[in-house]
Amino acid sequence: MASAKPLTSAPLVQIASLLRRRRLSPVELVDAYARRIAASAELHAFITPPGEPVRREAQRAERRLARGESGALLGVPIAVKDLFATRALRTTVGSRILRNWVPSSDAEVVARLRAAGAIVFGKTNLHEFAYGVSTANPWWGIARNPHDSRRSPGGSSGGSSIAVVAGLCAGALGSDTGGSIRVPASLCGCVGLKPTFGAIPLNGTFPLGWSLDHAGPLARTVDDAGVLFDVLSGGDAGRKSRRAATRGLRVGVLTGSIVESVQPAVARQVDAAAAALRRRGLRVREVAIPEMQWTVATQLVTLRAEASALHARWIRAQPRAYGADVRTRLQLGSLVAAADYVLAQRMRARIRTAMSHVFRDIDVLLLPSTPIVAPVVGERTVRWRSGEETVDGALVRLTAPFNLTGQPALSIPFGAAAGLPIGMQVVGQWNEEARVLAVGRLLEADAPSR
Amino acid sequence: MPVPVTERELLTAAARAAGLRLSAADVLALLPAWKRYLRLVEQLRAAVAPGDTDGIG
Repeated sequence: MASAKPLTSAPLVQIASLLRRRRLSPVELVDAYARRIAASAELHAFITPPGEPVRREAQRAERRLARGESGALLGVPIAVKDLFATRALRTTVGSRILRNWVPSSDAEVVARLRAAGAIVFGKTNLHEFAYGVSTANPWWGIARNPHDSRRSPGGSSGGSSIAVVAGLCAGALGSDTGGSIRVPASLCGCVGLKPTFGAIPLNGTFPLGWSLDHAGPLARTVDDAGVLFDVLSGGDAGRKSRRAATRGLRVGVLTGSIVESVQPAVARQVDAAAAALRRRGLRVREVAIPEMQWTVATQLVTLRAEASALHARWIRAQPRAYGADVRTRLQLGSLVAAADYVLAQRMRARIRTAMSHVFRDIDVLLLPSTPIVAPVVGERTVRWRSGEETVDGALVRLTAPFNLTGQPALSIPFGAAAGLPIGMQVVGQWNEEARVLAVGRLLEADAPSR
Repeated sequence: MPVPVTERELLTAAARAAGLRLSAADVLALLPAWKRYLRLVEQLRAAVAPGDTDGIG
């Protein structure tokens, strides 16, 4: 059998193929990943690293492969963000409050991964209760960017992104309420897909904001993300995307105040991505969506109210059981008036309508995933010509709008600044994941080498 | 019961009404973010004009 060592950073599609053809042993593979995890402990990618039962699962997968059984992910190790319930495996949601919770059943997405033959490969670190974008977790360790350990990996699915980029698993599962898949994908340099709202079931997933939550894959390639999305959604958009026609598609490059403050290197890569798509025969033009100026306020009110409703009892009974930043957000959320929430939903409907109108004239929207590259851990503000912005606010400024609208959005690595990855975002019409993945694949092929 | 007059007192009163147990230090720490929040909501309110039916009659 082939040595597993150089394969730890190979695309999932390649790993699955080698396993199917019995050119690679799942046991050797999980051992190789386990060695890398042990050597990367300082990244704090995992809350619960894969243990001995995982090796037994790999042995079972090896026997199934030997019998010629099939499964899209048979024997493939997938890391799971620690807010998806896993049967008989601790699920902390990155918190102290749930540090001893051992669910009695799997979340639906975990069950789907297992049904496809995947090995649930440990539980990854996240921002406490997924309510933040740094993964500086006060209880389970401050997660570190694999490109520069002084910097943040982003969040809240920071551990899943690190695990994918550092070669600690073949792919990973994340969740996204304001950008929690796409932000860490952008800062760490992997592919992250937030699908259409509702495309992937959330039962067994610890919520953050009911009307904004999405589950989705983090992966090394667009193909990998497509394979994982098909397993998680039960559909075939990933497969369809491989033969989807892209020539002549209409691309809108977002302009306006929401994208005015971005780092110059990020702006240059947006131009390069637009040029690459134009060379591929897509019709590229600029579009403005003025209503997007209200997405920050609308998301803030909506998420604060929904998260505080969920945490209503705990935040009142045991506020000190939360880390300082999450405690502050939940306490402020407890003060959101019903009238303010209604106001935000009215604006949200208006933003959604505006987006629908724009998408009559375009097929996909192109914009950066994040306006900045990975910030130094603990950095609080970013300075623009127009003034200061909080780092947390900047990181979700360009992702959160699509949680409000529920459209599919993909982050793809595209270029770098001083060795740090830049993420490009492709947004599609509702339920058009195949098209989003197809355009993402073009950008992946034409991405400048880092 | 005294009528709240300062923003700090307003926040304290709002927190108490919401059932939060905040120390004076907690209130001070929350105050800047709460004021930012109120400004944002005010802007939202101005953008969604009262009486605007969002096209639903």
